[in-house]
Amino acid sequence: MSVPPQDPQWARPNQPARPPAESGLGPAAHTGPQNDPAQGGPGRAVPPPRGDGGAVPPGTQSSDPRAVPPWPGEEGGEQGPTQMLGDESLGEAAQAALNDSRNRIIDTSSSSQDGLNKCPQCGSSDIQYSLSAKALVCAYCRHEWNEANAEQSFGLDSPIADLRGHTLASGTADIREDFTVMTLKCQGCGAEVVVNVDQELQARCHWCRQTLSVNTQIPNGAVPDAVLPFELTREQAIERIDEFAGKRKAFALGRFKAEFVPDNVMGVYIPYMVVDGNMHAVLGGTGEVTTRRYTVTTGSGDNRRSETYYDADVYRVQRAFDLLVDDLTVESAQRFNAHDNSNATNNILNAVQPYDTENAVAYNSNYLKNFTSERRDLNVRDVDDAVEDKFLAIARAKATPTIGRYDRGVRWEQEGVAVHGTRWISVYVPVWLYSYADSAKGEGSLVHYIAVNARNGNTMGSVPVSHPKIFAVACLAGTVAAAVGAVVGFGWFLAG
Amino acid sequence: MFPLLAELAADPTTSMLLADSGDGAIGIAFPFVAGPAVFAAVYGGIYRYYRNTDKRHHFARETEVSVGNLDKRDSKVGTNNRQKSRTMNGDNSTDYLDRVHRIAVD
Repeated sequence: MSVPPQDPQWARPNQPARPPAESGLGPAAHTGPQNDPAQGGPGRAVPPPRGDGGAVPPGTQSSDPRAVPPWPGEEGGEQGPTQMLGDESLGEAAQAALNDSRNRIIDTSSSSQDGLNKCPQCGSSDIQYSLSAKALVCAYCRHEWNEANAEQSFGLDSPIADLRGHTLASGTADIREDFTVMTLKCQGCGAEVVVNVDQELQARCHWCRQTLSVNTQIPNGAVPDAVLPFELTREQAIERIDEFAGKRKAFALGRFKAEFVPDNVMGVYIPYMVVDGNMHAVLGGTGEVTTRRYTVTTGSGDNRRSETYYDADVYRVQRAFDLLVDDLTVESAQRFNAHDNSNATNNILNAVQPYDTENAVAYNSNYLKNFTSERRDLNVRDVDDAVEDKFLAIARAKATPTIGRYDRGVRWEQEGVAVHGTRWISVYVPVWLYSYADSAKGEGSLVHYIAVNARNGNTMGSVPVSHPKIFAVACLAGTVAAAVGAVVGFGWFLAG
Repeated sequence: MFPLLAELAADPTTSMLLADSGDGAIGIAFPFVAGPAVFAAVYGGIYRYYRNTDKRHHFARETEVSVGNLDKRDSKVGTNNRQKSRTMNGDNSTDYLDRVHRIAVD
């Protein structure tokens, strides 16, 4: 294999079109792009887009092989203030992105306007998701229905092998942190109702009491492409959490046992990016096959020792194959980063996967009623490094069955994937979540989660421990082991 | 008491002294090794059972993946004889999450 380049070109999706600038709905006007990677958080691996706004024509590479391609709409090459996309809708920016042959944006926004979200049978706006019916239920006529399957209705179920370039559902568009307030016009009475979309996506009209909903994909990350509705009831979740904690009471922290109230479980929608990928993977390394195993005896008398040795043939091992990855999930809310357990036991939320994201339905704000939802605050560019790493990990895992003959193992030294196509969708997944923070430690104490996957019931949790109790038991066990060791050792000594 | 035993067991001179005095003397080290080892195993085991700090979604195994057009190229490049270990040095065939040098792929 030739010497690999030191900074390889990675297939990296262009970003979906930036969402439109506010149209009087947000609190302040922009002067530049929001969530600019150049101002991003620490550890962000992706370099910023070209600061001069210069365009890199589609199909050509920038001088920096890891540079992010220009934003749709930034093409033109003239230096000047960053231009925001038009106010009207995503459409203009989406069209610009569509012109880039590598990108394709699928509009998954609801056809309904913000405001009344009516029951298809009676026209009422009083609708909520029923866990017993597993459907949206109208409070007036009891009509039950579910939104259409998102993959099928938006054409997101086309064969992964046919993916070329990057297909992005419109719900994955970059978020705007300043988009916090929105005014909804009630179609019933004409009143204007201000909604804090940072906190909620529905509000009652204070005049006619109709429920007003945010139905369009507002650019604050609160509206996903699809929602995976709750399947397990609250009672089923409480039962699982109770059982999980019940098995872990003996060495649990005393305050946890005293304050444990599983009824405090909350239904939470957590945002994930769901990624499909069509790629070609290449791995290179060294493997060894045992050719001989033998025992060598040295010394004599009391110094006589026997040692086993192995002879092996060394092989250069290369594997190349095509990979079609279906529904790889990655967290898209920073606070639920599975690799950061400094504030909360986020690995627990990661561990209750998988979710049957192929059954997610098109977004309807009524699915979120009576549940809490975490807003997405990471963009495609923020998670694509993690996705690349996951693609590589999958490639390595899939290569394992092909190296069975190397009984002494394989040391992989090189790896890479050429991504031919990806497809990105933002999905809310349902979790029943019990959280506990040690009351004695106050602010900043670690939040322990016990989580139940509200689709398949997978349960995992973190229970705070009483270190003195564990220490006492471990000491006892260690003492017993030492005593047994002393008896055995004394016998050994006498025999020797 | 136990930190002292652990320290004693970890001290390389202890095993050297014992070894010098014959194979039978190794038996004297048994309680000093077994005690701390069981202490650590029990403490770590209970802690992990409660806190589950090692639990993660095994996406590499559980994500639905199709594989095709496999190209295998294996060529012998030498021998590695008289090795004491049953496994090769640096075997990472099951460490999916550890990244190695990335190469460009066309």
